[in-house]
Amino acid sequence: MSERLLAEFPDEHAIAGAIRALRETDHRVLDAYTPFASHEVEDALARRPSRLPFAVFVGGMCGAGGAYFLQWYLVAHLYPLVVGGRPPHFPVAFVIITFEMGVLFASLTAVIATLVVGRLVRLTDDVQGTAGFETATRDRFWLAVMSHGPGEPLRELLGKLGASRVETPEVA
Amino acid sequence: MSEPIILGSPTDAELGDQLLGTAWRRPALGEQRWWRVAFGIAGALTLVLFSLITYTVTTGIGLWGNNIPVAWAFGIINFVWWIGIGHAGTFISAILYLFEQRWRTSINRLAEAMTLFAVMQAALYPVLHLGRPWFAYWLFPYPSQMETWPQVKSALPWDAAAVSTYFTVSLLFWYLGMIPDLASMRDHAPTRRRRIIYGLFALGWNGKASTWRHYRAAYLVLAGLATPLVLSVHSVVSSDFATALVPGWHSTIFPPYFVAGAIFSGFAMVLTLLIPVRAIFKLHNVVTQKHIENCAKLTLVTGLIVAYGYIVEWFMAWYSGERSELYQAWIARPTGPGAPLFWLAMICNVLVPQLFWWKRGRTNVYLLFAASLLINLGMWSERFMIIVQSLEREYLPSMWASYAPTWVDLGLFLGTLGFFSLLFLLFLRNLPVVALSEMRELRHDLEHDAERKEAAAHV
Repeated sequence: MSERLLAEFPDEHAIAGAIRALRETDHRVLDAYTPFASHEVEDALARRPSRLPFAVFVGGMCGAGGAYFLQWYLVAHLYPLVVGGRPPHFPVAFVIITFEMGVLFASLTAVIATLVVGRLVRLTDDVQGTAGFETATRDRFWLAVMSHGPGEPLRELLGKLGASRVETPEVA
Repeated sequence: MSEPIILGSPTDAELGDQLLGTAWRRPALGEQRWWRVAFGIAGALTLVLFSLITYTVTTGIGLWGNNIPVAWAFGIINFVWWIGIGHAGTFISAILYLFEQRWRTSINRLAEAMTLFAVMQAALYPVLHLGRPWFAYWLFPYPSQMETWPQVKSALPWDAAAVSTYFTVSLLFWYLGMIPDLASMRDHAPTRRRRIIYGLFALGWNGKASTWRHYRAAYLVLAGLATPLVLSVHSVVSSDFATALVPGWHSTIFPPYFVAGAIFSGFAMVLTLLIPVRAIFKLHNVVTQKHIENCAKLTLVTGLIVAYGYIVEWFMAWYSGERSELYQAWIARPTGPGAPLFWLAMICNVLVPQLFWWKRGRTNVYLLFAASLLINLGMWSERFMIIVQSLEREYLPSMWASYAPTWVDLGLFLGTLGFFSLLFLLFLRNLPVVALSEMRELRHDLEHDAERKEAAAHV
């Protein structure tokens, strides 16, 4: 019977060391919770880099392409009007709105994608109610680990690796 | 370059207490009175703004002083002035981020807030200037039975696209940067009511490493996207002028000249706000002499570009050999009806920033504060000079006329100053003024650098 545990570490060196040590064991490191974007913790977890920028690229291209098409559709196709000798389809005049809409949709994609992949916009999650967890937004680093077999040996191991406290996660 | 950007060595917890504490610290009794006075004045002027907006909308823009030939006056001057001020925020948060200017971290939140609030004031003006603001949605291509569409080959729909994109992207950038700090506030605010409110806005952020990974990628991408956007907005605004044939407007120098002027006035406003905020909240350990000095240096650089813009305008007027251009640049502006504002612009925008060549000028906060106010005034005068003076003296002398604003114009302008101040005061009292999680990251990066340097010294 495996058990999920949350351990609090006093600083980033301690948690990074613990992550590396645990990766050698059969226990499974689930995720870390840190008060800021810690490069050291990220390196220790060794996850592949975020692919979110690809989504942003696609979003931006859709925005720019859509804007160009819409401009052509409106002023060259639906209601062609020659002003100042410029032909109805005049690409130079379409550049700015195309650019602006590209940036707008790329930015919207970036933020929405972050909220979606980070599973944000929710009231609580499976760790927020844990005793003492509010230090995760202050100066402590928390690590979620799934034990291989019973939880007791993992509890001891986490203590040995420098955890200042080990808790069972709770929903707020 | 070796001057520190964080003084002392605060721990993560101390940084949190200090930087979040600005939002729920109870000010001392004597200070409280000043807050009340500030909120009172800003609130009263905001009421003036909304009353005059109501008056203008119900009566018509004949209440304003603009008329043929000066059809663009306060409405456009204030639009350009406010949106120019709004340029420093995104310049600091995006462009300086890409250039890895670490000092930007302690001032980006404040500057971005300033940007948002300034763009809100700016956006009021073109909408009111429409005369029938309830038809403002005609600017956007929506499926309508009239089957007429925005003419996207004109610079004005470009403006609508640029300004609304700029506001949206700035808001997204500001909010995304604030989510981890809002989560911090949710966990450490003193009252339950505050915890619930901040908690709702924190969207359930818990600092998971896998979320941080995507978050950082998104932040970097947004900085990259906002960078060309900053430069595009005022370029587009300048096209509203440069594509017209009015003497004094029809010039290719306009886009860089406007962008430099915008960042110039933006940095001046950053200094105007930053110097008192730093003193009130005692942020001297995170907003150090170096930050103030760097803002002054950037003001000087952009000020010099603005001065270059003036010189090019005079030169091109002479070089064109065109009589109306020559008259506009060399006679109408320095000696015409608006001459005092022309000279004010020259003194405030060209002479005042020269103070920043001296270390003394960049480090004395009283001097800097005064200089920043003068530059704000100078940049307003510059927009008056470009817009009103050009229209007063067009090609046909029989069409020449002078312009004077009405009390409604002046009241609306004061009102936007009040509304801006009110929003900024609310920001100061309710949200983290300095980006806390970014400061913590910066502190750790600086620590790692120091360790690495020490290790290298031992080898």
